[in-house]
Amino acid sequence: MKKYLVTLLLATLTLVSVACGSEETDNQADANELSGAVSIDGSGTVYPLMARIADEFMTSVEEGVSVEVGRAGTSAGMQKYVVGETDFSNASRPIKDEEVAELEANDIDSKEFKVALDGLTLVINPENDWATEMTEEEIKTMFVTGNIKDDDHVLWSDIRPEWPSEEINFYGPNENHGTYEFFVDVIIEKQDLVEGINLQQEYSTLVSLVSEDVNGIAFFGYGYYANNDDKITAVSVDFGNGPVAPSLETIAEDGPYANFTRPVFTNLNLDAAKEKPQVKAFAEYIFSTGATTFAGETGFAPLPDNELDEALDFIQKLN
Amino acid sequence: MKEFALKSEEKFHSHYLNIEKVNKRMTTRLFINNFVKYLFLASTMFGLIVLAFLIYTILRDGLGWINMDFLTNRLSTLPERAGIAGAVVGTLWLMFVVGPVTMVLGIGTAIYLEEYAKRGRFHSFIQTNITNLAGVPSIVFGLLGLTIFVRMFGFGPSIIAGGLTMSLLVLPIVVVASQEAIRSVPQFLREASYGMGATKWQTIRNIVLPASMAGILTGVILALSRAIGETAPLVAIGIPALIIPIPSSITDNFTVLPMQIYYWTIDSVLVDEYASMAAATIIVLLIVLFLMNSVAIIIRNKFKKRY
Repeated sequence: MKKYLVTLLLATLTLVSVACGSEETDNQADANELSGAVSIDGSGTVYPLMARIADEFMTSVEEGVSVEVGRAGTSAGMQKYVVGETDFSNASRPIKDEEVAELEANDIDSKEFKVALDGLTLVINPENDWATEMTEEEIKTMFVTGNIKDDDHVLWSDIRPEWPSEEINFYGPNENHGTYEFFVDVIIEKQDLVEGINLQQEYSTLVSLVSEDVNGIAFFGYGYYANNDDKITAVSVDFGNGPVAPSLETIAEDGPYANFTRPVFTNLNLDAAKEKPQVKAFAEYIFSTGATTFAGETGFAPLPDNELDEALDFIQKLN
Repeated sequence: MKEFALKSEEKFHSHYLNIEKVNKRMTTRLFINNFVKYLFLASTMFGLIVLAFLIYTILRDGLGWINMDFLTNRLSTLPERAGIAGAVVGTLWLMFVVGPVTMVLGIGTAIYLEEYAKRGRFHSFIQTNITNLAGVPSIVFGLLGLTIFVRMFGFGPSIIAGGLTMSLLVLPIVVVASQEAIRSVPQFLREASYGMGATKWQTIRNIVLPASMAGILTGVILALSRAIGETAPLVAIGIPALIIPIPSSITDNFTVLPMQIYYWTIDSVLVDEYASMAAATIIVLLIVLFLMNSVAIIIRNKFKKRY
C-alpha cells in the first residue's frame, strides 16, 4: 500500500509537470504537413455544414489538423469570438455593432464571410391539413404580439375563418440563436413576438414539439426541416405570386422563396489566419471546395460562385 | 383472517380487553399490514421495471451498431465511418487526471479532518461545507471550471481543465468515503502503535491508511465512475461538438463518452443513425461503469478486515 501511494503521488507530479511543460508544442511542424487546432463555435444552424466541411478537411486534406466545431448559438459563440477564444465564429445573422466594437477593443482583426444560403422555414404538424399554405403577410402578422388578439391566445380561425377554432401554439429557437434574431429583426421587423411562444435552445426539441402538436407552428433553418420532412410539414409561403414550398432550388439567390432566405455567415479572425497556417488552410478549403460541395446535403443552397471566389481571393492574399 | 378473531367465550378472555373493539379493528389492521407489503414491493419493482425498459430500448437500438469499427474509428459526421475511439481515449485521460488528483486531495483532507483537526467550530465548518459541496449541482462546478481552469489559467477546454473540474465535482465523495473508512479503524490499533513509540505520521502511514485503504479505494472508484458519467460540467467548459483527433497529451482538447451521447442524441434530428450510435455509446459507457463498480465491490470484499 505504501508503494502504491508513492506511485500515485509521482503520477500526480508528472501530470502537473506535463501540464505546465507542453503548452506551446503544437503547430510549427514542416510546411507540407499542417498541424495544430482550428477552433470554431457559433451558430447551430451553420453547424451541420461546418462540421461536414471540417470532417472532410481532416479526413482527406490535412489529417494532422484538429478542426473543432462547437455550436453554442450565434450570440453565445460571438461572446467567445470577441475575446479571441475561437478562430471562426459561425453566425446565422450579420455581426452586430457592439460585437464589432468589442473586437476592436480587444484588437482583433475580423472579417465576415457569407458561407451559404438558408431558407427560414415555417413548420407545422403533418396532421395539420389546413395551414399548409399561408401568405407572407399572415405569417408576419400571427407571430407579433397584440396583432390578432390582445391576450395572444390566437386561434387558427382568427387567421382564416374556415380554419379550426383551436389555439395556435408558437415555437421557435431562443435568443442565443441567430435564427431568432433574423426572425425578429427582419421578418417581423423588430416587433415583439407573441406572448407564450415556446423558445428552445435545441432545434431537436423544436422538431419533436411540433411533431407532437397538431396546433404547433415553429420556425427554423431549412436544413433542420429537410432532414425531418417525415415528422413535420413545411408551410408553403405565398409572397404574392402563389405559394412556394421551401426547397434547395427555391431558397437560392433570386429564387421565389428569396424573401425568407438569408445568408449564413462565418466570421474569421484574420490575426489567427495570418499566424496559424492551419486556420488559413481551412478557410481556403471552405471557400474553394467545402461550401459548394456540402451545402446541398446539409440543407443549404450554395452561394453564387463569384461570391465564393471573392472570399477565397481575399483569404489567399492574407499574410 | 377469521382465525385471528378472538371469541369472547374463550377461557383466556381478559376483562381488561374490549373484545368487540379489538375484533372490529382487526380486519383493517390486517389489511393495512398486507397493503404496505405490496406497496413497498411495488416501489421496488417500479425502479426495476423502468431500468429493464431502459436497458431493453438501448440494447434494441444500439446493439447492432457495436462492432470493432465503431469502437476503433475516430469521430465523423458520417455514420458509416464514425466511431468512438476518441471518446473512449478521452474518458481514460479524464480518469487519469481525476484519479490521482482526487486521491491526493481527498485522502489528504480526510486524514487531516479525522486525525489532526481538533473537533470544534472550524472542524464542523469544514465538515458542513464538504457535505454541502456534495449537493451543489454539477453545472455549477462546470461554470467554476470554465472561469478558473479554462479562462483564468488559459487551459482551454482541454483534458487538464476538464479533469480538474471533474476532480472538484467528485472530491466530496472521496473525502466523505475516506473519512468513514478512517473512522472505522479501531482506536486500539492507533493506541497500540503509539505504545510502540510510533509517531503520529508513522501511525497514519503504517496502521490507519492500510487498514482503511479498502474503503478509500471504493470511494475513489465510485467517484471516478461518477466523473466519467457526468456531462453538464463538460458542456459548460465548452467541449466542442465535433472533435476528431484522438487526444495524445494532457493539454489536448478532448471529448468523452457522455458528451458523445449528448451530441448524437440532439443531432439525431439531422441524421437518424445518430440515435442508434448514441444508444451504442450508452451500452459501452454502461459496460465501463459496470466493470468499475464491480472492481469497487471486489476490492471492498477482498480487503475488508473485521476487528
